[in-house]
Amino acid sequence: MNRKVVEIAGRELSLSNLNKELYPSCGFTKANVLEYYGRIAEYILPHLKDRALTLKRYPDGVEKEYFFEKRCPAYRPHWVETAEIRRDDNEQMTVCLVNNLETLLWVENLASLELHVPLAKKNSPETPDAVVFDLDPGEPANILDCARVALILRDVLSRLQLASYPKTSGQKGMHVFVPLNSPQVTFEDTKKFSKAVAVIMQKKYPDLVTAKMAKEERRGKVFINWSQNDSAKTMVCVYSLRGREKPSVSFPLEWQELKDLTGQGNPEKLQVMYSKAVSRVGKQGDLFREVLVKEQRLPHL
Amino acid sequence: MAAQGIWSGTISFSLVAIPVHLVKAVQPGRVAFRSLHNTDFSPLVRRMFCPKQEKLVPPEEIVRGYEIEPDRYLAITDEELESVSPERSRTIEIVEFIDMKEVDPIYYDHPYYLVPSKGGEKAYRLLVEVMQRTNRAGLAKFVLVEREYLVAIKSTEGALTLFTLHYSEEILPDEGLAPKEGKLEAREKNRMKNSIKEMMADFDPGKYGNKHREKVMNLLQQKMTEHALVEAPAVEEEEEGEGPADLVATLENIMREVKKSR
Repeated sequence: MNRKVVEIAGRELSLSNLNKELYPSCGFTKANVLEYYGRIAEYILPHLKDRALTLKRYPDGVEKEYFFEKRCPAYRPHWVETAEIRRDDNEQMTVCLVNNLETLLWVENLASLELHVPLAKKNSPETPDAVVFDLDPGEPANILDCARVALILRDVLSRLQLASYPKTSGQKGMHVFVPLNSPQVTFEDTKKFSKAVAVIMQKKYPDLVTAKMAKEERRGKVFINWSQNDSAKTMVCVYSLRGREKPSVSFPLEWQELKDLTGQGNPEKLQVMYSKAVSRVGKQGDLFREVLVKEQRLPHL
Repeated sequence: MAAQGIWSGTISFSLVAIPVHLVKAVQPGRVAFRSLHNTDFSPLVRRMFCPKQEKLVPPEEIVRGYEIEPDRYLAITDEELESVSPERSRTIEIVEFIDMKEVDPIYYDHPYYLVPSKGGEKAYRLLVEVMQRTNRAGLAKFVLVEREYLVAIKSTEGALTLFTLHYSEEILPDEGLAPKEGKLEAREKNRMKNSIKEMMADFDPGKYGNKHREKVMNLLQQKMTEHALVEAPAVEEEEEGEGPADLVATLENIMREVKKSR
């Protein structure tokens, strides 16, 4: 059946093109995508809650064109919660808030395979809840190099009394989150902090790390993209699918596991696919829950 | 799924209540461009500038001012303005049915479509048909996004359209614009009438495409095939130094320990 009307919490939602293959190389259809998000909902929703969603839509699947959509489409159902945010150019913009299962499935029905959110919530857009280190490998560096950098970062951060949490980006990189959850912190603080750490990492590990944005500086190294600590930037949400050839997920790992996998030297083992993601959260729960609640302070700022 | 739109509520008059929502009826065909810096194609943003202090002013230092006379203002906050802004309407209460022919187009502000919400389909169709036949339009007051509008609801080819109307005080008088002196001769009037008669036609807006937009889009298409794309550079703040001195010193110590332990 290619169309289906479902009712969630008394709200009707019409799902369409269910047989469309959004990941054609492995026959993964829109129905599969909706099923994935339905099963992961309990874990992803707390991380999406009250954050201005950026949709990354693949209307004709991952092999065709995609586009980003920041505005919440005007044809949204009336029950979709929204927020008004002010953009850089001072224009008001209405954005979607994915605060419940029906909204999650509605955006997935729009083939928004990837869900991107800012580091701050809608009511405090200038207060980041975490510092993020976005580790991006420049060819031929790969996710294993990112994992090595992540492990060093964890060591540095823990000596600053800061707990940190890694996840795969679901593409080639890794993200390390340092939860703060303090109303006093600003993006200026988090950017200053992450940049200082990135610059010193580059200084001490010049063959492995760069803190510079320029493409030619990044070849064979892991770029620590500290500039993601900005109110105007978004990160792919933990548990979001990625629009790669296969349905991989941005997935949280335990440090010990990351260390073991890195030791094995196979970059593929660091990727988590949708089916593994579902079975793992069933067993271990949300490894990223501390990111939402743990209160920490950045030193020396 | 039907379009959900800008507002939803009820049209009501006497004993009739029709659940509807409001959606856009026009999409301006203007091609939008961003302003780029022509040295490196970075997208530019607008900032507020204080010419007196010669510096940029952050949003929290900006208030609205009502100009009483040159250089004399009444400052007013968003909160104060909000305290007098009307409550959003839940209903469009039709107060009169007027003859649409009496409304000069100069009063038309912005058109929207009204779409029936669930359960309102039949009453909606009934209203469309009867208003069409009688050529009447419903007049109502209605608050949309913090402003009270005078609106006309009319029937257009099987759908209900809503026009926000200008208030009469917004219409500028035409006094002094049009000459009214002197006598017009019957012969001249006849000649003009015949010229017009020869050029009479039915209104067919489809005949007149937006030629300018088409040309701009063709130009863009052509540039695209020539790969004339420019890419904005990634934003990087190249500030001096490595960060706050205390933090850098602490990090230096830590990094030494980390390198030793690995």
